[in-house]
Amino acid sequence: MTLAHSLYGRLLAWLALPLLTLGALLLLQAWLEARATADRAYDRLLDASSLAIAEQVQWQDGRLWLDLPPAALEMLAGDAQERVFYSLVDQQGRHITGNAKLPAITDTHDTDDAPLFYRDITWQELRLRLGIRQSHLEGWRSKERFEVRVAHTREGRVALRLELLRGNLAGILGMGALAIATLLMAVRGALKPLTRLRKAIRTRDPRTLAPLELELPRELAELREALNDLLARMRRVRANQERFIGDASHQLRTPLAGISARAELALRQTQPEQWHTALEAIHAAGERSARLAMQLLSLTRLDNPEQRPELTPLDLNDCVRQAVRAHWVACHQAGVDLGADCSASPVLVAASDWQLQEALTNLIDNSRRYGARRITLGVLSHPPRLFIEDDGPGISAEQRLAVLRPFHSGRDDGEGSGLGLAIVDGIAHKHGARLSLSEGEAGRGLRVELDFPETAS
Amino acid sequence: MKLLLVEDDTLLADSLLELLRGEGHRVDHLSDGNAALARLATVGHGLDLVLLDLNLPGAGGLEVLEALRRHDRQTPVLILTARGAVADRVRGLDLGADDYLGKPFALDELEARVRALLRRHARTTRLTLGPLELDATTLGFTLGGEPFPLPPREQRLLACLLRHAGEPVEKSRLAEEAFGGESMGDNAIEVYVHRLRKRLPTGQLSLRTVRGVGYLLEAGS
Repeated sequence: MTLAHSLYGRLLAWLALPLLTLGALLLLQAWLEARATADRAYDRLLDASSLAIAEQVQWQDGRLWLDLPPAALEMLAGDAQERVFYSLVDQQGRHITGNAKLPAITDTHDTDDAPLFYRDITWQELRLRLGIRQSHLEGWRSKERFEVRVAHTREGRVALRLELLRGNLAGILGMGALAIATLLMAVRGALKPLTRLRKAIRTRDPRTLAPLELELPRELAELREALNDLLARMRRVRANQERFIGDASHQLRTPLAGISARAELALRQTQPEQWHTALEAIHAAGERSARLAMQLLSLTRLDNPEQRPELTPLDLNDCVRQAVRAHWVACHQAGVDLGADCSASPVLVAASDWQLQEALTNLIDNSRRYGARRITLGVLSHPPRLFIEDDGPGISAEQRLAVLRPFHSGRDDGEGSGLGLAIVDGIAHKHGARLSLSEGEAGRGLRVELDFPETAS
Repeated sequence: MKLLLVEDDTLLADSLLELLRGEGHRVDHLSDGNAALARLATVGHGLDLVLLDLNLPGAGGLEVLEALRRHDRQTPVLILTARGAVADRVRGLDLGADDYLGKPFALDELEARVRALLRRHARTTRLTLGPLELDATTLGFTLGGEPFPLPPREQRLLACLLRHAGEPVEKSRLAEEAFGGESMGDNAIEVYVHRLRKRLPTGQLSLRTVRGVGYLLEAGS
């Protein structure tokens, strides 16, 4: 799971970023401050030491003379046993006395204002802090200027600096840990309702479609409402399905009851002729219920929005010819004249071959069942149109809408299941085609048309 | 002919056995997918036709078909199934089935399909329909044992119709067979069909028009 895919990670990243920046700045500041403080403390020692030396400088025998007070250097050596250097330089820059010839500082500014100034220098491969005090002797005849240069190595400063920093660091890290812990808790707490929602959904009985009842913060409440909305729609779909199953079971039970009754009756009879009639009736009823079961299956499949047929470009003429070839023999044996009236040029539509065949099968079946003697399948172009026309009794104008609904057969003589046209309508829907019913050419019979959308070609 | 029926529904299987044995075939019956798998997976099963149900206990029908086709591409297979959708049929045909019947089917229909499949896969080179017989090697027809000479185009036309006897054949297909690559138009075929009709003996063979589609040759009047 990458950061971009986790709310938790995203929140944490955006909250931690400023926190870490702030922490880094605090650390930097602590370090600078430790350095300044350590320098200030040690520079004060340099100041005192150089002052002590300067005060011992005297004028004797026409030259500068120094009686070095040991304390002046000892105070600089400190606990770290640093090495301490000093030198006394006269007005002309000549080295008078000292334990090292410390360099001068050339880029001095106005010397009157600052009697003492400091530099970090590297001298004979030693990193030193150098303090230079400019002073003078007030004599009778002259005002003798001189410079006291004092330097020491930096171990003490570094040690002090680290010590100061260490103290600050503990505080900063403690604060940081506290802040991060609070942050984690806050983010976790904020996302907790999400976990509750997930648990609530997970632990649900998959069969229940009852709305989710769960106290949630506003943002998630919206999500809950959206889910409940979906559940409500699913409840409606299920109610529809239950009604459909009820209807279907009724429809299937009726012919089965008929078969059973007819067989029972025949078993009581003794004449072979009576058996023969009964068997014929049972055979017909058996065929009817089998066909009904098949139609129920197709209708259920069509009703499933997950099942999208693969639409490929195909010629309606081919579909029609294929359907006629498939049903011609059966129609011919039943004395029905089945034929095609194809368009001269190919009429291409995007369609699922087997679904169109299923639609045509149902249409041919319907026409036969309602007593047509002549059935013609045909194709027209612009718009691409599939039609079937028969010379049967037709469907009255006021019945034409009703017959598209499942279990509404045009007639109540038990011949039709009332599913055929519903299936064709479902298939038309999946193809974006429009189903329309009218009467045949001579004002009699039934004409069913399927108008397909024009394909871009 | 030796047939194998793989069908688990007892009522249907008994009816089919009676029907097919009544036609003079020797028919074995298996009601279990695994048994069918064992029987058909071996080379040399000696069958002429397999009638196969798809919904079987044990191995599924499509699995059985696949196993058969792995070593035997010849023996015709007729699928019988209650799965209504044509999508399943397409799968079955893709796997090498030769024909398909959706349950419920009329017994007439089954008889016709079995006959057509046996004829198409007959190991002899002779095709017969009623009194008409075609020797596929010489392409010569005989009618009631007597030679039945025809002009070349009509001969090719009749051969094509005979190969698909009992099923409608489209005009474009007939035109291609009869005229080869020559473009004669669909109407030209009507002329030849008309001539052929006059030559065929009435009452024994019928050349029927399938309105708007093509023609069909069948025995009887």
